[in-house]
Amino acid sequence: MKHFLLRALFTLLFLAVPVLGVWTFVKAEDWGLWFPPIASSYGGSIDFLFFVILWMVTITFIATEVLLVWFIFRYSKKDPTRATYTHGNHTLEMVWTAIPALLLIFVAFSQMKAWTTVKINFPSDGPYTVQKPLMEVYASQFDWRVRYPDAQGNFMGADVIEVPYDITVPADTKVVFRLKSRDVLHSFFVPVFRLKQDAVPGMEIPVWFEATKPGDYDLICAELCGWGHYKMAGKIHVLPPDEFQRWLAQKRAALYATD
Amino acid sequence: MTLRRHRSAALLAAAALSPILACKFEPRTPELHYSLNAKAIASNPDLAGDPGAQAQLEGALEMLVGTPRNPRFLTLPEWLADGFDPNFWGEDHVKADEAAWKALVESNQKAFHQQLAAIRDGRFEALVRPRFADDLWERWQSLRAEMPAGGPDAEFLTTDDGQKVSWREEALYRFENYYPSLASSAALYHNQCFHCHGAEGGGDGSTSRFLEPRPRDYRPGKFKFTALKGKARPRHEDVFRILAEGVYTTAMPSFRRFTDSQLHGLVDYVRMLSIRGETEILLASFYDPAEGLHFDNVRENYVDVVGRWRGAPEQLITLVGPIPQPTPERVAHGRALFTTPGEKGGANCVSCHGTSGRGDGPSVWEPGKVGIEYTKDDWGNPIQPRDFTRGVFRFGRRPIDLYRRIYAGINGTPMPEHIGMTITENGAQRAMTEDDIWDLVFFVRELSSQSPLVASAGGAERQEGH
Amino acid sequence: MSTHAPAHAARPIGIDPPGTVHVDHSHHELGFLRKYIFSTDHKVIGLQFLFTGLIMLLFGGLMAMAIRWQLAYPWTEMPVLGRLLFPATGGVTTPEGYTMLFTMHGTLMIFFVIIPLLTGTFGNFLIPLMIGAPDMAFPRLNMMGYWFWWPGIACILLSFGAEGGGPAAGWTSYPPLSTIEAAAPGSQWGQNFWLLSLTFVGVSSMMGAINYVTTIVKMRAPGMTFFRMPLSVWGLMVAALLQLFALPVLTAATFMQLFDRVFDAGFFTPTGVIINGTSPETLGNAAGGHPLLWQHLFWFYSHPAVYILVVPAMGFVSDILSVHARKPIFGYKPMVYSIAGIAGLGFIVWGHHMFMSGMNPSVGLVFMTATIMIALPSAVKVFNWIGTLWGARIHLTSAMLFALAFVSMFIIGGLSGIWMASTPVDIYIHDTYIIVAHFHYVVFAGSMMAIFAAIYHWFPKMFGRAMNETLGKIHFVGTFITLNGVFYMMHQLGLAGLMRRTADPYAYETYAHLQPINQFISWCAFALLAWQVFFVLNFFGSMFIGKRVGRNPWNACSLEWEAPSPPGHGNFDKELAVYHGPYEYGVPDAPRDFMAQTQKSPGLHAHA
Repeated sequence: MKHFLLRALFTLLFLAVPVLGVWTFVKAEDWGLWFPPIASSYGGSIDFLFFVILWMVTITFIATEVLLVWFIFRYSKKDPTRATYTHGNHTLEMVWTAIPALLLIFVAFSQMKAWTTVKINFPSDGPYTVQKPLMEVYASQFDWRVRYPDAQGNFMGADVIEVPYDITVPADTKVVFRLKSRDVLHSFFVPVFRLKQDAVPGMEIPVWFEATKPGDYDLICAELCGWGHYKMAGKIHVLPPDEFQRWLAQKRAALYATD
Repeated sequence: MTLRRHRSAALLAAAALSPILACKFEPRTPELHYSLNAKAIASNPDLAGDPGAQAQLEGALEMLVGTPRNPRFLTLPEWLADGFDPNFWGEDHVKADEAAWKALVESNQKAFHQQLAAIRDGRFEALVRPRFADDLWERWQSLRAEMPAGGPDAEFLTTDDGQKVSWREEALYRFENYYPSLASSAALYHNQCFHCHGAEGGGDGSTSRFLEPRPRDYRPGKFKFTALKGKARPRHEDVFRILAEGVYTTAMPSFRRFTDSQLHGLVDYVRMLSIRGETEILLASFYDPAEGLHFDNVRENYVDVVGRWRGAPEQLITLVGPIPQPTPERVAHGRALFTTPGEKGGANCVSCHGTSGRGDGPSVWEPGKVGIEYTKDDWGNPIQPRDFTRGVFRFGRRPIDLYRRIYAGINGTPMPEHIGMTITENGAQRAMTEDDIWDLVFFVRELSSQSPLVASAGGAERQEGH
Repeated sequence: MSTHAPAHAARPIGIDPPGTVHVDHSHHELGFLRKYIFSTDHKVIGLQFLFTGLIMLLFGGLMAMAIRWQLAYPWTEMPVLGRLLFPATGGVTTPEGYTMLFTMHGTLMIFFVIIPLLTGTFGNFLIPLMIGAPDMAFPRLNMMGYWFWWPGIACILLSFGAEGGGPAAGWTSYPPLSTIEAAAPGSQWGQNFWLLSLTFVGVSSMMGAINYVTTIVKMRAPGMTFFRMPLSVWGLMVAALLQLFALPVLTAATFMQLFDRVFDAGFFTPTGVIINGTSPETLGNAAGGHPLLWQHLFWFYSHPAVYILVVPAMGFVSDILSVHARKPIFGYKPMVYSIAGIAGLGFIVWGHHMFMSGMNPSVGLVFMTATIMIALPSAVKVFNWIGTLWGARIHLTSAMLFALAFVSMFIIGGLSGIWMASTPVDIYIHDTYIIVAHFHYVVFAGSMMAIFAAIYHWFPKMFGRAMNETLGKIHFVGTFITLNGVFYMMHQLGLAGLMRRTADPYAYETYAHLQPINQFISWCAFALLAWQVFFVLNFFGSMFIGKRVGRNPWNACSLEWEAPSPPGHGNFDKELAVYHGPYEYGVPDAPRDFMAQTQKSPGLHAHA
């Protein structure tokens, strides 16, 4: 009896792993522990890939853990006979090598398009390109700053618009910008865009996104940059395109304010 | 034998665990406390050797501005008669500026959108407690307790101009028009500012010794970046601007992730710390053991310091008409003023800023020292003159900002006031005028636009012929 | 260790030419220092690693508790540790102090706990015993390997007291944050100590690795072919090879960083930066360097390092499962090939730590493919472990429970790795708590559970006494529950976007609602640490008052159980000859349900 209780206790303990493991994911969204809504054009493809892997992983997780738990329970029974004497099964090895291999290769290849879209194929048909970006974003300890070029498109003119913290961009436009760092490594992370890129001092890194929903979104630093890393916040303001142009014109005019 | 061992093992286990499970505690934030300015005390030997007098001084200051947990200005009757209550200094000032108040309301609406939506929908229990707005939360709780019998849309109060307002409208109004109390701002300061600027605003928090330049010490009452002349105290807008924009190339970031109201409240609190600090320095330096610390001289210094802040906006450097237009002649004139050293009658910018404007002029070196040893500013930070080719301007790059910088200089640094400076032109001496300053502004803008800018690869080299 | 049963050297015959190895057993009496402190006996050295590693585990664990306190109750007074670590603020964590905490936690746990406990303790203790050798090939080098670790420990502990505090650039120490002194307070002398410390640890590890590989290749007992070695030995040998090939790169990288810091060499310092108000070039630093160079060099070592952290554990778990399930390991050869595959692939995946780093994105695709493929041998291993349990006769001893926990937890850690391997998904989850969850599952819920299993399993051999099973089971239950309480929810926190290495994540409004979960995690963490008291009592208590055991309390097949418990100098007191593999459990016609490796088995189909 005592032995049965112990077996039961440990079995339940191991069983709790798949049960609670799946349950906490099912309830995660209710608890506010889920992806924020997507606000960029390529965000959906990234989430989709995540979910493909989530399903594969969940099935594997449940299958292996439940099998493990079942075997723990079933074969911990007090039994004076000897265990099944086998050193393995060649066929089984082939099967459970080949199938995961194919699945994994499938996963690897299915990821490639999304990656090239976000990081390699920069837009060349929109108003902003790598050669003529919308803005330059500077990361520094512990601040985000953005520079919009002057009316001639010159980033080095005296009339550049420099704004800390608030990065305003137009919606429904392929925005390309250059990411720079003034001092140490930082990282430009906008969760709702599913966009992240490290800012490396000494490098100018092109980044692109297309915001699909006007609104205000968090910009978070995602690479340790010192003691202020935790509060290196920014805000992305996505405005409808015409409103953005008005905002930009108003900012240019404000350079010559006399207040 | 084995069974006994197992049982005693289990009992031992239970005994070891129980004290851990039984104890409970509340996490505590240590309370801040205003200590005295050691340097100010040390500068007056009579005070330095008299702990009794120091205790008196501490008490006097507490009477004037309270404690970090409960900060409030001592309000004098003549101020009240005048309509001035320093405890509402900021709120009155911001309210008087329509545009600023509108921006504050908008920013409150954004920050409290969850609460406002919940009030509109009647989901009063669903309101989330906002961070760093304890006073607002308390007012909301007490308002909730006062909900009229007729429900949230029943008439609740009548405003001064006779308007009837419902309970719900009053609730919405309180959130939208929230302006933090000094105590609330003190709490925000404790969380965000204290670890650099210190409890009294002395720029000596735990992180400060790792920063270059050091965080500002408010206590001498000197602020570098103002729009005012005559070394005046900053306007409310000036300090607000520093909080909102940060100071680029220093560790002071932009604090725009807080609402306008919270930033205005922090301005009020910083002002209070500065007033306290400056009063303390005056009282310490004038302390005479024969006279002691009387209420009269405490009051006199306090009124003096507050008066400096109140009178500051009159020193605003204003412009009549729009920003002037640069022309090649004006830029050339600016260049002439810039590059001509003082002994030849120019504005002498090259002595600090160097012939290429890279901040490497001869005056930057400490006399008698070898190697790069910059001169110090009034707070003891080694200070390097601005390198214009990097395109970085710490208090703003707008033409009006540069104009004010050159006009009034920078408080606490070797950058002097240029208005009225004596220059020699065409053989005759004269004082620099506003136009001369604009010419310098145009030239500096030209310098800054010919450079590869901050933090780009190869930024140290000036590109020729760009 | 003990001095009863004088041993004769077992001279290997038949496999290696005679005279290849000669172990000196001149019977001089060794003084206390030579016997217990500067011992060249691999068993003593193994125990030295064990005790030192467990003490460092306590330090690393305390760092973790400090981190968890700050995440649960930011900017409040930390009980117990607060006054020690942050006296100036009355026990409140400072922002720069927090960066130091997680740097030290990671550094201590990886280099001073897991690697020494896995390879230092069990590598030393088990390898000669399991292959039938009297000691390591280079006993004096072995001793130096342990003692070279101590300057590393001294450096890392001294760094706490350095001006500016301990290193604060993360255990990954990316420049310029780590190389420019002005960039972080911990990047003053603290960072130099970190670099020196890692150099010593690296040298210590390499000494051990040379020893392990040589011993395994050259000193196996007669009949002990490579494919008759227990998987523990395979795991340790592969880990040693990983150390040998990867560590030199880390050592070179740490020297480069040291040169950057001390001689302003500029390997990693870019041109034209202004850090904390100063321009490095103005201060005399060379520039024109690249931060990514460090990342490549560092991860070229540190990725194989994470396999060093897990591969020996896999070996131990295989052995422990087999013994306590009374059944041969399922698929011995596939298991060996998987370990080799993991290690081999481990050398070509380092870039997956750098997907977002600014390295050429096309290279990211290559690393992604290789990384995803590493899941394959790991999966094969998991299936084989489960296969081992099928049809078994499981004894739920403490050792077995921890070994089973390893399998269960490794499944979680391994599966979550697939998200990280996928570069587009990594765009979102890089540097979030999903990453933290993943590596804590494989390293703590995986390797640390394996270390506990190995301690419970081999304690009788080490000390000649048994550990208390009741305390062991209590230790297991509490540890298993609390560790899942701590680390599982980190997956969901990462999905919500919670960032790593942030002293006060609730500074962002979007994360403010995550504080209650973080408080729950922190309380589970405090309970986890407190629960280890059962292990400490059991471990130290059993050493003195545990029940005495004979040579083979578990009725296991492998060679170490042929030696006395604990083994004497020279290990074995008889000539050894090996006839089959170490997993002959449940052999149908054998007199007992196991056949020791030295037991002749005429009718047995001798599996290679």
